[in-house]
Amino acid sequence: MSQSARDLILAHLPGFPAIHAGRLYTDTSEFMAIDYGDVIAVGGRNYLVHKNESERRFGLEDPKYWVKKCQCLETGERNILKLVFHEQFPMAIGNFTVRCYRSPQKEARILRLVKGDMRFMQGETYPDERGNPVRVLEVVVGRSLDNEVEAVDLPHEAYFHEVFPGMLEKFLGTCEALSFLHENFEQHGDVRRDHIFVEYATGDWRWIDFDYSFEFHENPFGLDLFGLGNILLFLAGQGVHTMQSCGLTGSDLTATDCSALFPNRLVNLRRLFPYVPKKLNDILARFSGGAEVFYDSAAEFIADLADCRDRLPAQHKEHQP
Amino acid sequence: MNARKICIAFDGSDNAQRAATYVGEVVGAAPGFSVTLLSIERQPDPDHFPDESAWLARIKDDQARLRAALDAAHAGLVAAGLAPDAVNELVLSGCRLAFAGARSCLPGKSVAEDLLRAAAGEGFGTIVIGRRGVSKAEEMLFGSVSTRIIRDAKGCAVWIVE
Repeated sequence: MSQSARDLILAHLPGFPAIHAGRLYTDTSEFMAIDYGDVIAVGGRNYLVHKNESERRFGLEDPKYWVKKCQCLETGERNILKLVFHEQFPMAIGNFTVRCYRSPQKEARILRLVKGDMRFMQGETYPDERGNPVRVLEVVVGRSLDNEVEAVDLPHEAYFHEVFPGMLEKFLGTCEALSFLHENFEQHGDVRRDHIFVEYATGDWRWIDFDYSFEFHENPFGLDLFGLGNILLFLAGQGVHTMQSCGLTGSDLTATDCSALFPNRLVNLRRLFPYVPKKLNDILARFSGGAEVFYDSAAEFIADLADCRDRLPAQHKEHQP
Repeated sequence: MNARKICIAFDGSDNAQRAATYVGEVVGAAPGFSVTLLSIERQPDPDHFPDESAWLARIKDDQARLRAALDAAHAGLVAAGLAPDAVNELVLSGCRLAFAGARSCLPGKSVAEDLLRAAAGEGFGTIVIGRRGVSKAEEMLFGSVSTRIIRDAKGCAVWIVE
């Protein structure tokens, strides 16, 4: 078996050091064992594994052993292969804990649904020899939205007037994309700013990673909507502002000033930036601890946001990162 | 509207049992009432299971739990004085989809909507629902069946039992 992987690598990628050629995997069930130099054969192609994908938290690498950064030996293209990993775990959202499920079949289904829709990452799903649905993803060459915003070196007022209008326009597009998922009875499941990638070549914003799922019977899209509110807050505020970072104390604030789920997070941006339009602030207030009514759907959120966009001064400038 | 035709929104929870107990105490000894325990079966999302057999096993467990809770509530209502033929059960299943290649039936479905639709169809004049009381933050994130019923119910009375 190891000879087969070596042969494939030598045939397609002769520059790769043969000493690192590993095993050829047609069954990806034991994904922890699959590592650098191994080859995964799926969907009629062979993918050389370069490394495990990882998330960086607190300066540490947290490897995701079921997500492999690969190179297709036949095409030379870089791909990400997501292997089957069923897990469930408690996830803290503010003071609440919800059970999160990682579902390969959900992600595979959404990939089929959004095929050709460039508002989303693209990929195909192929069963391996054991029937595991392996998702072969195209790499979105870009950076996450939080990095995009953090790269803007402007004081908030200039950012808000010169950059934010263009970002709001893009954000509306991603909201429409999310609404499309909901119309098709699908949750994204992990709506956060680092799951929107801004493509370098086009500047397009694209959703990635659809494999989280939650059991919210009565409000299946509530978590997605809450995620949209958080992203809007981040975009409008050019970052997250907490009581501590603003030098405010609890006695300075009301429930309407802060997030319903993160009580130290300021949503009333007009407390910091009085030029933020009231209409926009009112949208953010729907995510505050003082809110009496909530958004029932992405469509409702989009309608309010589009109205807000239309009322912004017409000095939209396309942001050049 | 026949106010004496009562339905209890029943999901087998402690809140639902409390609502059933309350209804028994209020109307058990009174003539002319009928009470229906109305359940909307909430199937688990197939996406949360590695295969069909695990999903079906969970459905079977859930159904057994609901059956036991219905039996207890039913017996409690009769013990409270309702005639046996005045206590009914109506269990409406969620969507039934084959697992393989099927998309989840849960997203987009609202238990409250299903309850109200069924209640209207059966001509219930009173809907009773137990609730534990949720914070605004919980309501925003998870939704609330009782809040939706209060908001959307038409042509009937709604009793909330806390």
